[in-house]
Amino acid sequence: MTWTGVLKGGVFVLTLAVLPLLGLPHWVLNMLIFVLMFAALASAWNLVGGLTGYPSLGHAAFFGIGAYAFALLLHGQTELTDGWQPFAWLPAIGVGTALIGVPIAAIAMRTRADVFAIVTITLLFVVQTLAFNLHGLTGGAQGLSFPVAPFPADTFERPFYYVLLGLLVLAMLLTFGTLSSKIGLALATVRGDEDKARGLGIPVGSAKVLAFAVSVGLTAMVGAVWAYYQVGIIYPQFAVDPLITIAMVLMVFLGGRGTLWGPVLGAFVLESGQQYLAYELGPSQFYLIAYAMIFLLIMLVLPRGVLPSIAGRLR
Amino acid sequence: MSDLLRVDGLRKRFGGVTAVDDCSLAVAEGTVTALIGPNGSGKTTLFDLVTGYRKPDAGRVVFAGRDVTGRSPGRLYRAGLSRTFQQARVFPQLTVVENLVAAAGHRWWRLAAPRVSAADRRQAETLLAEFDLTEDADRIAAELSYGRRKLLEFAAVLMSAPRLVLLDEPTAGVNPVLVERMEEHVRSRHAAGVTFLIVEHDLSFVMRLCDPVIVLDAGRPISEGDPSTVRADPRVLDAYLGG
Amino acid sequence: MGEPVHALVQGLILGVLTGGVYALMASGQTLVFGIMKVVNLAQGALVILGAYLSYQLFVSFGIDPFLAIPVTTAVMFALGVGVHLAFLRPLRREDRAELSLLVTFAVALLIEGVIGVVWSTTRRSINTSYANDSWTVAGYQITVVRFAAFALSAGALGLLILVLHRTRFGRAVRATVQNPESARLLGVRAERVAALGFGLGAATAAAAGSVYGLLYPFNAGSHYDLISLLLSIVVLGGLGSIGGAIAGAMIVSVSSAVVATTVSPSWAPMTFFVLLLAVLLVRPQGLFGRPA
Repeated sequence: MTWTGVLKGGVFVLTLAVLPLLGLPHWVLNMLIFVLMFAALASAWNLVGGLTGYPSLGHAAFFGIGAYAFALLLHGQTELTDGWQPFAWLPAIGVGTALIGVPIAAIAMRTRADVFAIVTITLLFVVQTLAFNLHGLTGGAQGLSFPVAPFPADTFERPFYYVLLGLLVLAMLLTFGTLSSKIGLALATVRGDEDKARGLGIPVGSAKVLAFAVSVGLTAMVGAVWAYYQVGIIYPQFAVDPLITIAMVLMVFLGGRGTLWGPVLGAFVLESGQQYLAYELGPSQFYLIAYAMIFLLIMLVLPRGVLPSIAGRLR
Repeated sequence: MSDLLRVDGLRKRFGGVTAVDDCSLAVAEGTVTALIGPNGSGKTTLFDLVTGYRKPDAGRVVFAGRDVTGRSPGRLYRAGLSRTFQQARVFPQLTVVENLVAAAGHRWWRLAAPRVSAADRRQAETLLAEFDLTEDADRIAAELSYGRRKLLEFAAVLMSAPRLVLLDEPTAGVNPVLVERMEEHVRSRHAAGVTFLIVEHDLSFVMRLCDPVIVLDAGRPISEGDPSTVRADPRVLDAYLGG
Repeated sequence: MGEPVHALVQGLILGVLTGGVYALMASGQTLVFGIMKVVNLAQGALVILGAYLSYQLFVSFGIDPFLAIPVTTAVMFALGVGVHLAFLRPLRREDRAELSLLVTFAVALLIEGVIGVVWSTTRRSINTSYANDSWTVAGYQITVVRFAAFALSAGALGLLILVLHRTRFGRAVRATVQNPESARLLGVRAERVAALGFGLGAATAAAAGSVYGLLYPFNAGSHYDLISLLLSIVVLGGLGSIGGAIAGAMIVSVSSAVVATTVSPSWAPMTFFVLLLAVLLVRPQGLFGRPA
């Protein structure tokens, strides 16, 4: 860890930590919450899609699993006295989802990257369908309700903001730890030439599964916080939404796959941009077209992403 | 001298083609053995079978006295059998040092170990110096020329201190200066006790460096012996010229 | 005959008839993969677009969807070639494998967005005069539409196979699928084959789309469900194998239908996922695929 790196990280976290205390209007804080949320999600996706080179197109399934797990855990209660207590469920949700991720990764990652992408898309669809169909468990299309967070109205956003900031820091620390360890080297060989890596005795299977498990665990935790933020009720089409995956993927691609700051940069740029587009263009279908066009533009013009392109230019 | 590698009755078919046909040969320890033969004689397939990249339809592979038929390439690598590929396969987005470190056969389960520790670097340093790659140590492998990537690939497979190294066409596409270097490296490693099995088309390289020479044709050996004997063998000439 | 058996056989019939349509869509998908080694995530969206085109022709001009097929296939063939030239061709070879997934995903979104703008997000269906007719054969119900859909799909698939095996273009395609290097050496223009192949894939989507629109209500967002199903079928059957796509479609369709009629419709979507995982566990390359 270089001193500039620590400084960069420190300034970043400190600035973000201070923002909510500046008396900013609610819509700004709300926007920042979503920016943080997507930055954490993008960093989590990066572990699998960026560092390992296996493009998961179904990560939103785990976001949804985290959201529903949280809602289910609180479902029975009528009222919450301590608003902070539900956050204590996060580690359990994270670890639980990571454990679910292990067998899925073990099967889905045995094959090549595109088959993996297909299995993940299918998983997303299945989870969404189950969310709609298992009325008894999830309330189906009527949604699943749970007690509202009893935080005071004028500082309502703060707890969520700080928890998400915490998750983002966790994701970045895990990413940094991975990049600078032997695991990171192993994943990089998988991404570069998996067959050769296997031939060198590198434990590619275990490394891939580990990256996937950590990634989906993080994603689920963010999903849980999102659920809590949705005042009292979540619906399947929003909890398990393909657009969330698309956003994650696009942000990592824009910022630079496999880098530490790339996903964060991508999230900050795109999420703010998305909020702006949603405001300007209103009707969702135009916004989808704009999204798709930006997506295509980035793929065709900047396939390596912003940060690696800049790094390449400087070398 | 005992046989470090022995192959008994190996067979491999692809669709209608029998690439390796009841092939039996042996590589004695401490030699630099060459495997030559016309195109399509099954040399690379044989390599794939020996190193576990493909499973044989029949036959056995015995390495250092143990039957290793069909074992995974990773396990064979850890047992001391390494190979290079025809098209210099390195990890293009990793640096030269990282390429070497990745090939060193670590105890990978130590998750928290640093990506490239000081000890790793020291271990790589000797090879870097030997292969004249020290200046390029932190450059991305993709930036190296083809010939230097081949040297890198060769250096990398030596990181695990193998007993037997299979080189697949080490001089193909490489300029004459680097070919000489390649030859020196083989000689110096050989002097240090490593056994080599080299597939080559450059017959002068083979004649200078290797003994014995095994000739493969249509998936099985047709001649074996020291370079001059093999060169004079009419069957060998037939194989290269005939149909 | 007992109730459960009746339900089972009804499920089988339903599965086979529907399977034909999915087989057609999946063949287009697997063909594109075979030629370009690209997974076309826009195939579902193309089918839905085909459905909308048929719908519009039906609503504006009263043209029956089956009769509209020549028009829609021609239009979408051109569209497919256009998409390939605009978005896939520009990708550099080394990026192509990784990025094509996302590029085609983006194209799917683009199509979804355009559909939403042109036709809004209300659910549509093509209600022809015979939409609710059915025959009863040996105590089992066979809807006219499903039967016609099956017949058309079988015909279209037959045509596709004929093209692949009897025309020069078809031979070029098969050569490219089996061995791109040799094909190139023999003078096959890879990029041309790729573009036309993609167009062909889009054409199969158009034909299937007309039929799909008759069978199910649809809207802009329907392509997600469809693409998941198609991808599972194609992976199950083996990427690049048309026979595999047909077999996969039948297996998935029949199993889902049987589960829907004998157990419960809610669990039917799970069946194809379970099948997919089961096959991948045992045979990662799919039923008819070649090992990596």
